[in-house]
Amino acid sequence: MKKVLLTALLATLSAASAATLVFGGNGEPVSLESGNITDGISILVQRQIYDTLVDFEDGTTDLKPGLATKWTANANNTAWTFTLRKGVRFHDGTPMNADAVVFNLSRWWDKSHPYGFRDQGRTFEIVGELLGGYKGDATAVIKNIVKVNDTTVRVDLNKPSSVLPEVLAAGYFGIASPTAIKKEGAKYGTPASKPVGTGPFIFQSWRTGDRVTLLPNKLYWGEKAKVDQLVIRSIKDASQRLNELKAGTIDFANDLTPDSLRSIQADKNLVAVKRPSFNVGFVSMNNRNQYLKNQAVRQAISMAINKKEIANAFWNGLAVSNASFLPPVLAWANSPKVPADYKFDPAAAKKMLADAGYPNGFSIDLWYMPVSRPYFPTPKPIAEAIAADLSVIGIKVNLKTEDWAKYLQDRNKEPGFDMYMIGWTGDYGDPDNFYGAYYGANASDDINWNPANVETLLQQGRAANTQAAKAKVYQQLHELTYNAAYRIPMVHSNPLAAARSYVKGWTPSPLGSEPFNTISVGSKK
Amino acid sequence: MGSYLIRRLARTLLVMLGISLVVFVFVRSIPGDPAVAMLGERATPEAAAALREQLGLNKPWFFNPANPLDAQYPKYMTALLSGDLGTGLKSNIPVLDDLKARFPATAELSVAALLVALLIGMPAGILAALRRNSIWDNLATTISLVGVSMPVFWLGLLLSYFFGVKLGILPPSGRLGTEFDIAPITGFNVLDALLRGQPAAAWDAVRHLILPAIALGSIPLAIVARITRSAMLDVLNQDYVRTARAKGLADRTVTMKHALRNALLPVVTVIGLQAGALLGGAVLTETIFSWPGLGSWVYDAISQRDYPIIQGGVIFAALVVSVVNLLVDLSYASLDPRIQYS
Repeated sequence: MKKVLLTALLATLSAASAATLVFGGNGEPVSLESGNITDGISILVQRQIYDTLVDFEDGTTDLKPGLATKWTANANNTAWTFTLRKGVRFHDGTPMNADAVVFNLSRWWDKSHPYGFRDQGRTFEIVGELLGGYKGDATAVIKNIVKVNDTTVRVDLNKPSSVLPEVLAAGYFGIASPTAIKKEGAKYGTPASKPVGTGPFIFQSWRTGDRVTLLPNKLYWGEKAKVDQLVIRSIKDASQRLNELKAGTIDFANDLTPDSLRSIQADKNLVAVKRPSFNVGFVSMNNRNQYLKNQAVRQAISMAINKKEIANAFWNGLAVSNASFLPPVLAWANSPKVPADYKFDPAAAKKMLADAGYPNGFSIDLWYMPVSRPYFPTPKPIAEAIAADLSVIGIKVNLKTEDWAKYLQDRNKEPGFDMYMIGWTGDYGDPDNFYGAYYGANASDDINWNPANVETLLQQGRAANTQAAKAKVYQQLHELTYNAAYRIPMVHSNPLAAARSYVKGWTPSPLGSEPFNTISVGSKK
Repeated sequence: MGSYLIRRLARTLLVMLGISLVVFVFVRSIPGDPAVAMLGERATPEAAAALREQLGLNKPWFFNPANPLDAQYPKYMTALLSGDLGTGLKSNIPVLDDLKARFPATAELSVAALLVALLIGMPAGILAALRRNSIWDNLATTISLVGVSMPVFWLGLLLSYFFGVKLGILPPSGRLGTEFDIAPITGFNVLDALLRGQPAAAWDAVRHLILPAIALGSIPLAIVARITRSAMLDVLNQDYVRTARAKGLADRTVTMKHALRNALLPVVTVIGLQAGALLGGAVLTETIFSWPGLGSWVYDAISQRDYPIIQGGVIFAALVVSVVNLLVDLSYASLDPRIQYS
């Protein structure tokens, strides 16, 4: 017996001696097939395995070269040419070249691509959303994908777009090995397959529901990984991720609740990490409601909610509240004519309501989300705080909620919700990704407000060449949406992450995940 | 016995067919659209409609006048009868693959939880019955009451925090330390590690099992303790026990050989009934302890309206409960020779 225990102890010590970096993920990946998935943890794992054509500078939404070293547009932004990095190979040894890039882009965009596996359940819906549709669709941004030569790919567009490189930098669009996809077939991306990219880590195993294990790519073209192994564990419960951090069984984790900030700060072994804010939590008001169709009423409601106090109370300093639909990193697109903050003035709001014909207020439904998101981590108490603020000006708020799938469905059904809480986390660093998602022609029909000039401005924004030109357009959009007051931005939150104190070199991206090749665990025991 | 078994298996098959129909209709009747759930905050009516079409969810449920077989239920049943439970709507992972990977984890945890329930609950029940109204009886009754009334998720969080963080003597969650990897044979980590000659991994797997097994086993433990106590009290007052004592048999022999064996029948029945409860309890326990089993997987599928996973998970769970109860029924004969199957 003693011998067995001794063997066990020695094996434990030797197994633990390798430099293993352990991340506590908020679940397990849904799929490791790029282009076909949008959930955060799938993208986080994919960011380790795949590279995108264009990448983001550490900790920002600024672009930097990825698998493409250069990208240029024609004069009117209707064709983008990507020059590919030479000498890069996939983890299976096959070359990353124009054929591989065209293969990836085509299988996402062309519904009849033989390796799109659409007949076996693939949907690639993110391509339809971010790129207006698929091959042949009247709304599709992409017209054609062309191999110019072995290291050059051109993407022809149906309409001008200055944001194509930004879109292709989003974590959804990692470039995978065509050989691996052809070999694995429809099981590519599942735990029974071996996803192959060019990224800093090589897939080793996926234990269903438990963990994904990756090994460093010794031949990586960029900064090589500093650990011997990367393990991404599935720990759904946020309080359990914190427990694991405190126990030292994981090294770092995302998506902790704001109320755990003090506990992290009080632990000398842990460091709280604030991910740069790239989201917006907001309250939407429906034009179909007899009271809310009145602009003055909407503005009065906006003025009566103490957003700063709510942000302080529920985010523990991990959020800012201002009058912009855009997160702080895109503040360059805000209008100087719009006040930085909403004026909180219940007395003025009450007078405004009286002037609008409702001196005694009215009764209205406010729907709150049944799930927690970084932009609204505790929706119910936040809704209660909003209701309390509105009661001061005479508006009686009925709080309502329902199952999340039904909530998302019912908001778009006639007559929809009167007022409801929702939010958005960005995919790439352009204002179009925020305004387009909630004010664009293809956006949610929850507020029944689709003025033509909004879509015109969005199209001008997408076509604009420079940041200054874009700023001019989006400033107008900011003014327009601020005055209309259909969607009231409540907060831009900093999702809370934390790491053991020995974890060095982690620069969290505003986009929710980043490659972990820069991280080291020097003094980890 | 043979004909009884055949009848029971035939009945189980009918139950399975009935359940497949009920779950098919039920999941489609609950409000909330899978396409909308998949798209999340991005869901617009147009995007959801397009996705619904791609996933084949816009087809009739039972009968398509244009092409009778091109409806959801006929397709589902045709595939099911050939052993294909479909694939997850978003993951594209065959449901059967997920079941194969996850069931051993749930089974291992459930067996451990049952062991906790039996190894603690039965002795506690016996002691309470033998020392009726003593401090031991009161203690066992109090523990039973606490076990039944304390929510599993709360107990789980307490155990995890106290033993995993505060004392640091057991892992707070997970199924195996990241320094180990066990290539599956049976899917039971402890067993596989031993079979593969990895004693350190086996010990680590046992350490990971302890807290979730206590949390999941708390309710069955309480029930087993109470049932054992009352069954033992009943049996201890029977004439044949008095006769055994009058014959001068030792207390231990009377208790273990004569009383306990007869008291086991209701305990075994309760264990069978607990199989379903354990699968239900696994939803919370697995979520809290990051245990990669069926419970949290089906729960997530329900919130995502992932029809194939919900259908596969429910049918499989029903099958497990049916088989366990069949085994319990068959075990009666070995416990009580008077019982015969015909």
